[in-house]
Amino acid sequence: MLEPSVVAALSAVLPSSALLTRPEETRPYECDGLTLYRQRPAAVLLPDTEAQVVEILKCCHAAQVPVVARGAGTSLSGGAMPAADGVVLSLAKFKRILTLDPLTRTAVVQPGVRNIAISEAAAPYGLFYAPDPSSQIACTIGGNVAENAGGVHCLKYGLTVHNVRRVRGALITGEIVEFGGEALDAPGFDLLALVNGSEGLLAVMTEITVKLLPKPQRAQVALAAFDSVEAAGEAVAAIIGAGIIPSGLEMMDRAATRAVEQFVHANYPVDAAALLLVETDGTQEEVASEMAAIERVLKANGATEIRVSKDEAQRLLYWSGRKAAFPAVGRISPDYYCIDGTIPRRALPQVLTQIAQWSSEFGLACANVFHAGDGNLHPLILFDAGKPGDKERTVAFGDRILELCIEVGGTITGEHGVGVEKLSGMCSQFAETERERFLAIKAAFDPDGLLNPGKGIPTLARCAEFGRMHVHRGELAHAELPRF
Amino acid sequence: MNAPLDLALRPADQDVKRVVQKLADDFGARAMTARATREQHGHGEGLADAGVPDVVVFPHSNEEVASIVRLCHGARVPVIAFGVGTSLEGHVAAIYGGVCMDFAEMNRVLVVNAEDLDCRVQAGVTREQLNAELKGTGLFFPIDPGANATIGGMTATRASGTNAVRYGTMRENVLGLTVVTAEGRIIHTGGRARKSSAGYDLTRLFVGSEGTLGVITEVQLRLYGIPEAISAAVCQFPDLKSAVDTVIVAMQLGIPVARIELLDEVQMDACIRYSKLTGFDAKPTLFFEFHGTGAGVREQAEMMQSLAAEHGGSAFEWETNPEDRARLWKARHNAYYAALALTPGRQAFATDACVPISRLSECVMETKADVVATGMTAPIVGHVGDGNFHLVILFDPKDPADRERAEGLARRCSARAIRMGGTCTGEHGIGMHKLDALVDEHGDAVALMTSIKRALDPLNILNPGKTVPVRSQKTERMSQ
Repeated sequence: MLEPSVVAALSAVLPSSALLTRPEETRPYECDGLTLYRQRPAAVLLPDTEAQVVEILKCCHAAQVPVVARGAGTSLSGGAMPAADGVVLSLAKFKRILTLDPLTRTAVVQPGVRNIAISEAAAPYGLFYAPDPSSQIACTIGGNVAENAGGVHCLKYGLTVHNVRRVRGALITGEIVEFGGEALDAPGFDLLALVNGSEGLLAVMTEITVKLLPKPQRAQVALAAFDSVEAAGEAVAAIIGAGIIPSGLEMMDRAATRAVEQFVHANYPVDAAALLLVETDGTQEEVASEMAAIERVLKANGATEIRVSKDEAQRLLYWSGRKAAFPAVGRISPDYYCIDGTIPRRALPQVLTQIAQWSSEFGLACANVFHAGDGNLHPLILFDAGKPGDKERTVAFGDRILELCIEVGGTITGEHGVGVEKLSGMCSQFAETERERFLAIKAAFDPDGLLNPGKGIPTLARCAEFGRMHVHRGELAHAELPRF
Repeated sequence: MNAPLDLALRPADQDVKRVVQKLADDFGARAMTARATREQHGHGEGLADAGVPDVVVFPHSNEEVASIVRLCHGARVPVIAFGVGTSLEGHVAAIYGGVCMDFAEMNRVLVVNAEDLDCRVQAGVTREQLNAELKGTGLFFPIDPGANATIGGMTATRASGTNAVRYGTMRENVLGLTVVTAEGRIIHTGGRARKSSAGYDLTRLFVGSEGTLGVITEVQLRLYGIPEAISAAVCQFPDLKSAVDTVIVAMQLGIPVARIELLDEVQMDACIRYSKLTGFDAKPTLFFEFHGTGAGVREQAEMMQSLAAEHGGSAFEWETNPEDRARLWKARHNAYYAALALTPGRQAFATDACVPISRLSECVMETKADVVATGMTAPIVGHVGDGNFHLVILFDPKDPADRERAEGLARRCSARAIRMGGTCTGEHGIGMHKLDALVDEHGDAVALMTSIKRALDPLNILNPGKTVPVRSQKTERMSQ
């Protein structure tokens, strides 16, 4: 519940239709794509101008009310889960593309613009916005920046951080700050990179300048089948090792292939142990010579079957299965748990073999889809929440996978973010000295910890509870911080 | 140009003495106090700055760096990391004295992972050394700021260079770091994984922090396969605008040129004389380099050639064999020295403007008109593919009026770039010379940068007086 004085102050800023407090109004906001965790907020605010955002933040700052910014709510790590005593600041009404300049190849957009809407608006100029998370028809650019979203094409074209020039946003004090700039390199500390992937902990975005790229003349995809997951993993390493950077390099194992084939009928070879999708784009000549090189490497690494798309319709058909992998798995299992970890590419065969072994040990099926080119794993653990013990075993299995990712030199989240889901994992991945830097940066932006509290960066207390805090010779760092 | 000195930041003499003595005890001959050594470590290239360290020490390991920083932290004495001193904005000047850490002896390539296209190097490895050691692997590290800088220095200044248009800057090519914090603790950021959304992006925060947030000791770099085919070409234009417009159209079409360099007629004249380039005229000129497969390179070059011809460019002069190519790029890299040689006895400083590509023509032409109006010699060169260009302003150091004219020209160039939505520092960084410009350009964000500096280096011992304005608490109190 908000103090009446806070509600009064917010009512002065927003019309009543943009200030939701009744349970039936706020319930739709109780979780995002990670439905394991739910919490109704004290209020949901729907501003439609930057001036309103500034006033809301000033008001919440003065009253020390937590603020959770929200885009489309497609986060898979609980990044937009509300705080019980706080407000959800929805940017759903910020959905205008403000400018689109084909000469500088940039667009200035509001944070609530959907990812795919940018590419649609840019298409008449022969341009597109490269990062393409699977949820691109729904997810917003503001959420993409907050999570540093990736996607199939980020192997060649980079993550969100590589494709955003400038972010305008408000600090918790309501002060407007510009991060980055329209030119290549903004001077001083790279605050733009800090805001990217900051999961709403540093600022609330109000405007974003994205880079647009010329749409390649042509794209072609090869579908290759392998009779072992290891062989497919070796082929991925060999493609990259040969100096080829495909525009997409994705892998699916047999469980995932069978699930999607039943769903989209893409005529995938369902008996293969693993499938690779390797895409190349560019000019006609480049595509032809790169595809020839890709085919050579695939053959040399034991591909049992290679199909190369002949036209655009076929290319889209080959991709349709991969793009539909999540809903397809949703059809064959009551519940599934999507894991997001990244490993150095060379560790791929080793990690896949281990996952297969654990899958039989835990007695839980696991369908694997990966952004294989950049080593980003998405094992989907299939379980039945109605069966006693299933959920616990699933979480334990998932934790084992993530621990393994760290062990081989990777990270606990490639693109979904930490949110509430992986706070404990942060304690494993980062040493205390590193986590202290994170907390110091948070304090420089938001000393009271009002923006998206309890997400992204674990408190030192949390890691101590998790048994990872190492106090050396009784020298307790940041003794001023609340613990336990 | 320089921010005023904040004398309260100068440590007490006895603290400095204690630190120097301790370093002499611990490091023996690797801690040097000879005046000549210290002076040599007090400045980069460009204008000389007043700022000589009290001692220069040559660490060998992360642990030694950490011990030096801990010592400085305890005594509140400034500590400045030094690569090979090629920075242009006074980054290494020890304006408050203190300890200079020279990374010359931390110069090992630690590991090359050919399959993952990455490597890990100590901060003192130079760019040319790395590429020499990569010979035989089929890989290379593309970032090329001209000078043979260290990887540590290039990381700290977020260097870019002639082929940023294709390969990006250090921002895109540093995967992870080992950093010694202000308290002298060793931390690791990023890693071998190609993507991570765990925690704040400390790696990129340290990239470009100019030694003010931590001391970079190891760098994990992205490597690239040496392209199957490389070719370079030179094209000359009747006027500057035609050359710039050619670049703009090429960028808008997305032709993946690996390098495009602009030299105006004054710079071309200087390079022809200095580097003895034959067969060229003193006209506005573009240097191109194309990377890719044999067919891809041919295709790119044909597109580029027809674009240039539409803008009145000459037929391409091709340099396909590696020696000729190297000669051409060496001439480009020596542009600064070639400009200096135009008028002996003068000094030069280089401005560093970067604007959105759509404003490039306007910005370059206005700048050129300004140069002509002042009657000064100030050639224009630039990595124009990413909107970045430099004005190399020659002035008579003995004539204060001439220096004032030179500084005025530079100031107007910065202001013009900022007015056009650009920046006054495309790649050289802030150092001590551009603090004012940073405030002009990034008003609100500067306060945040200062908060971050205070959060990570509360005692302000890491390269004080650079990159962000931080005043000592004492001075702050006095001004209130």
